[in-house]
Amino acid sequence: MNTDKAYLFGLIIGGGVFGNAEDYFRIRLPYKQWGSYEINPKRASDISRDILVFLSPLFRNIYNLTINYQASSGGIWYILCEGDLSDLISDLQSFGIECEGDLRNHVSIKKIVEALVDDNLKRRFIAGLADTIGSTNPNHRRFTNEVQILSFELKGFNFSFVCELCRLLYSINCLPDQILWNHPNFHCANNPYYKQWNKGFKLRVQIDQYEKFGAVAFKTKAKSLKENRDLQQYVHTVVPCPEREIKAAKSCVHPGEDDKRLPECIRGGHYLHNRHVCAVLGCEHAPYKAVKELFHDAGKLISPFPILCKDTSEAIEDIIAKDKLLSDRVYDNRRYSVRFLYDLYRSDHSALIFGNGKDAGYHISEIIQGVAFIIADVNDLNGKRVRGKYIELIEKYLLSDSDLSVEIRIPDLLTPLVITGNGRGALIGAENPHVYKSLISVASDNEYKLNVRPITEKDLSNEK
Amino acid sequence: MRNEISYYQEIREFIETQLKSNFLVGCDEQLCVYWGIGELKSNLYRIIEEHPVECSCALQFAKRVPPLSLDIFALITNGNRFELLILEVKLVKSAGLSEWSQLVGYCLVSGAKYGLLVNIDSGSSERLSRTLLDEPHMSHIETIVDGCNREHILGFMQWNSLTHNFEYTNLGSIKSLSDLSSKLVSEFTDK
Repeated sequence: MNTDKAYLFGLIIGGGVFGNAEDYFRIRLPYKQWGSYEINPKRASDISRDILVFLSPLFRNIYNLTINYQASSGGIWYILCEGDLSDLISDLQSFGIECEGDLRNHVSIKKIVEALVDDNLKRRFIAGLADTIGSTNPNHRRFTNEVQILSFELKGFNFSFVCELCRLLYSINCLPDQILWNHPNFHCANNPYYKQWNKGFKLRVQIDQYEKFGAVAFKTKAKSLKENRDLQQYVHTVVPCPEREIKAAKSCVHPGEDDKRLPECIRGGHYLHNRHVCAVLGCEHAPYKAVKELFHDAGKLISPFPILCKDTSEAIEDIIAKDKLLSDRVYDNRRYSVRFLYDLYRSDHSALIFGNGKDAGYHISEIIQGVAFIIADVNDLNGKRVRGKYIELIEKYLLSDSDLSVEIRIPDLLTPLVITGNGRGALIGAENPHVYKSLISVASDNEYKLNVRPITEKDLSNEK
Repeated sequence: MRNEISYYQEIREFIETQLKSNFLVGCDEQLCVYWGIGELKSNLYRIIEEHPVECSCALQFAKRVPPLSLDIFALITNGNRFELLILEVKLVKSAGLSEWSQLVGYCLVSGAKYGLLVNIDSGSSERLSRTLLDEPHMSHIETIVDGCNREHILGFMQWNSLTHNFEYTNLGSIKSLSDLSSKLVSEFTDK
């Protein structure tokens, strides 16, 4: 290990793709729009400079490899590395890294991190990762431009890699802002029927934190970080993970929780918060006590039904037909005045209706969102989302037609209610914390992992 | 507008950090790095006075070396032996033979074994590149002084003031900072 190798290892682990060839591999730079020569030709020229002026002599000197590159209009760059790879492969093998396929999808960086014996070596390694998978797109921000983020992004299911990288950042006092885990509980918390949840990981670090402790070696990345930093007026600090408040939002049980590609320790679990995953993975910085406290409210935070599922009416009918618990219901079909629902929402955003009059029923704010989707003109929709604020859209439509109404089908048990109209449909799950909590158990092999069993008609009937 | 002197500190700090990391992983014994900016002889006396345990081994050298005005130099020592590294820092459009000759001259006069020509945010002239590529003896110089063999190993690197990082050029006999580190480590472990 040395300072130059530490950087190259970060770069290769971040983007290295190995095939069968013994004298060739590629480093993928997934820059997308940020690095597209069509969208930003100046930046593309800077990236090619970074590869040829900075990386090429480094690779030549350390591993005697020849460097070239390929770029696509979509902004995916490949650094092409040619030459005798035996020294490089042997070095990586000494850290338990087998040069096969996309490295970041399967490697563990545990051994290599052990060899990074001081903060500078750690920074050099992280710089290599940042130059490949560290996104400086200014869209990565927290709420406003005032808090800019550097986001380490990777596809796949290598949870331990993300956890190890987070620990590494932590070890040099670069405290990550949050991790978006590649798990359905975070990528589609509301809709269990959404299958494209596999969107990858994002390990987000505030730029202030990263500038202070981290590094990049590509001039393009450094420029971009500086531009983003200039959007901020103040310096922001980060609270260490164990001391940071946890606010969990409700999420639905998703079939993807059992996806075989998920690591065994994660598979089959339901996660209430991104730091709940950290606790299950055993990170020393996880807020274990706060996670356990969330379990008391698990019945409110986990739903076995969709919280809000929007689609075409055919797709919604198909979902109902395929689920016996939903199709066996007797539905009370009625038209409800949108004005009535709107007034109810205005008087109490958190009101529950059509329920048991206590803590179970349908959340008015979810119903209002479903109504907005149903009544909107095509021009007011962007896919399945209404353009702008849903409540303002409803106000606009009520202004032009105060008698507007929607059809709502209310089931005999607290399964999802159905709103239909305009060829669209919405399923809205009920709150039913007492019943839902009875579905949840703690895994036998991990006191922080929650398992949720499927809900049955009996569960709902008993509670009625 | 910054002048070259304003870059001395960041360059010095970066090199020191890289050397120390590499010494930590590559050398069993502790190597110390001390820096001087400006005149060599008086700075050597100052360093020896401030760190007598580690640097007294350089006292005889300090006595006989002529006064010499340098940009930056480093004294690397294990307490028994020492090596000198001279940095010639430039802020020019392209560093050429005259800048290289200056570094060579400083190393020959002082006897420093290691020398780096550093240009800030720019590279080398075509002529210097060609010379260093085609004539290895220009960066690996062997002399005989008073019957003793001397060796001078030199390299050329570019300082990127935006990334605060070196960009290597593969010109000269010091190809990278890890290469410089391992050469220095071998001075203290092979002998």
